[in-house]
Amino acid sequence: MNSRERVLAMIAGRPVDHLPNMPITMMFAGDQTGAKYRDYATDYRVLIEAQIRTAETFGFDYVSVISDPGCEAADCGATIKYFDDQPPAIDETQARLADKASFGTLKIPDPLGGGRMTNRVNGVALFKERVGREKLIEGWIEGPCAEAADLRGINTLMTDFYDDPAFVRDLFEFVVEMELRFARAQIDAGIDLMGIGDAAASLVGPAIYEEFVWPGEKKMIDGLHAMGTRVRLHICGNTRRILEGMGRPGCEIVDLDFMVPLAEGREKMGPDQVLLGNLDPVRAVRDGTPESIAAALAECHRQAGPRYIVGAGCEVPRGTPSTNLRAFAEYARAHT
Amino acid sequence: MSDCSKLTEAILNGDAKASVAITKEALDKKTDPQELVSKYMIPAMDEMGKRFETGDCFVPELLISARAMKASLELIRPLLAARGAEPVGRVVIGTMKGDLHDIGKNLVASMLEGAGFEVIDLGVDVGPGLFIAEAQAKKADLIALSALLTTTMPHMRAVIEELKKAGARDRFKVIVGGAPVTQRYADEIGADGYSDNANGAVGLARRLVTA
Repeated sequence: MNSRERVLAMIAGRPVDHLPNMPITMMFAGDQTGAKYRDYATDYRVLIEAQIRTAETFGFDYVSVISDPGCEAADCGATIKYFDDQPPAIDETQARLADKASFGTLKIPDPLGGGRMTNRVNGVALFKERVGREKLIEGWIEGPCAEAADLRGINTLMTDFYDDPAFVRDLFEFVVEMELRFARAQIDAGIDLMGIGDAAASLVGPAIYEEFVWPGEKKMIDGLHAMGTRVRLHICGNTRRILEGMGRPGCEIVDLDFMVPLAEGREKMGPDQVLLGNLDPVRAVRDGTPESIAAALAECHRQAGPRYIVGAGCEVPRGTPSTNLRAFAEYARAHT
Repeated sequence: MSDCSKLTEAILNGDAKASVAITKEALDKKTDPQELVSKYMIPAMDEMGKRFETGDCFVPELLISARAMKASLELIRPLLAARGAEPVGRVVIGTMKGDLHDIGKNLVASMLEGAGFEVIDLGVDVGPGLFIAEAQAKKADLIALSALLTTTMPHMRAVIEELKKAGARDRFKVIVGGAPVTQRYADEIGADGYSDNANGAVGLARRLVTA
């Protein structure tokens, strides 16, 4: 059973030789090849090299094109600030939709039009060529709440829920359509699974989540399933109040961040949901030891049960000792 | 004074129009502006902080309550300034150099303001020099530093080191927070306090200014 087969078997509910290992790495991965993070985020060849090196060195079962939340917003014309060696960031003071009136002129960018989205699609194709048989290839899109926040500005979006709900609904609709087109291009290029990052969704409570965010996520997930791909939902932050909703659309994998006990996820999402996580990236992963990490993963595994994939709650931080990240693969290999 | 309890309610509901109207009416009736702040506004934001901490309200609700509180405060602040009233404390706050993430910082700033602090918000991407210059210029009690990235966290240490070099470390309490920041890191760089949430940051600031 190779890595790809292992993850697909876990998702399908078939027996696995051991647990899959799928921690998220971005800056950590870039550091493995000495790449500057600006190059990692903007040049797919740099990202692919670093991801493959990291997956091989640390026994990951997958590779991913995840880099930063600014990919789609950049192609929509948002102002992005690029740094030499850290993730590009969206300049909220000049948010693309700071003026709501400009929404009318916002067009869905062509994911193959030569921008940052195309760079990501090219990354998928190169993964397919390099490791397509061996590793599971993960695509990445922003979720409705996260991308709406990227375009509108996160502070403003949070008050829009109360000030202008109709605008929020229209914006989410736009985002879902854009992300599904972006997804189509990544599926055509060869992904096995699509990651949806919807971090901003953890900032809202259950009422707003159910009224605005969940319908957008559901439409996005249904759209992805209709295109024949699998889905990993990643909402970092404290999602304890929205767990039930996160489990309802039937994603193949749901990530939980470290604030959420996996036992709660299991209780709210049922016995069949594959759960991934959820060590505290800073305190447990970067600042821990191989022994403490093994113990923490054993506790996660105990709470999640057999439908479980080894990982951290969110991105493994830059500066994590290599021995700590190796402890993930060691745990995964020793358990089913 | 019974009508003023509606000010608390308006802030809890995030209703800025109502909070402004009630504040105006109260001031027209010569209600003591300090009393409006301490008896009706600070308790409202304290309550929102508690609800936020226990998961009974979330970021959107906190932001609209803070907005309602600020709208009332705009009317009250000149009156307090005119009589020379001092705030609970003065805080210079910002997100570290190279870091554009600000929602956590904004929540802390709003909560501090709601607790009666004067908040000088320097925004995002703020270098150590500006934190120190502004803290000195505004005679701040506290410097509050926020970072969401492991790459921008080291600038927190730089602020403390620069303060030491300037011989001004004892003049300010320095508090730190943000997703990658830990109590261990706060101790390591010699910060005076750390909190992992906005309400905790208010309690911390209160303790430090009264210490």
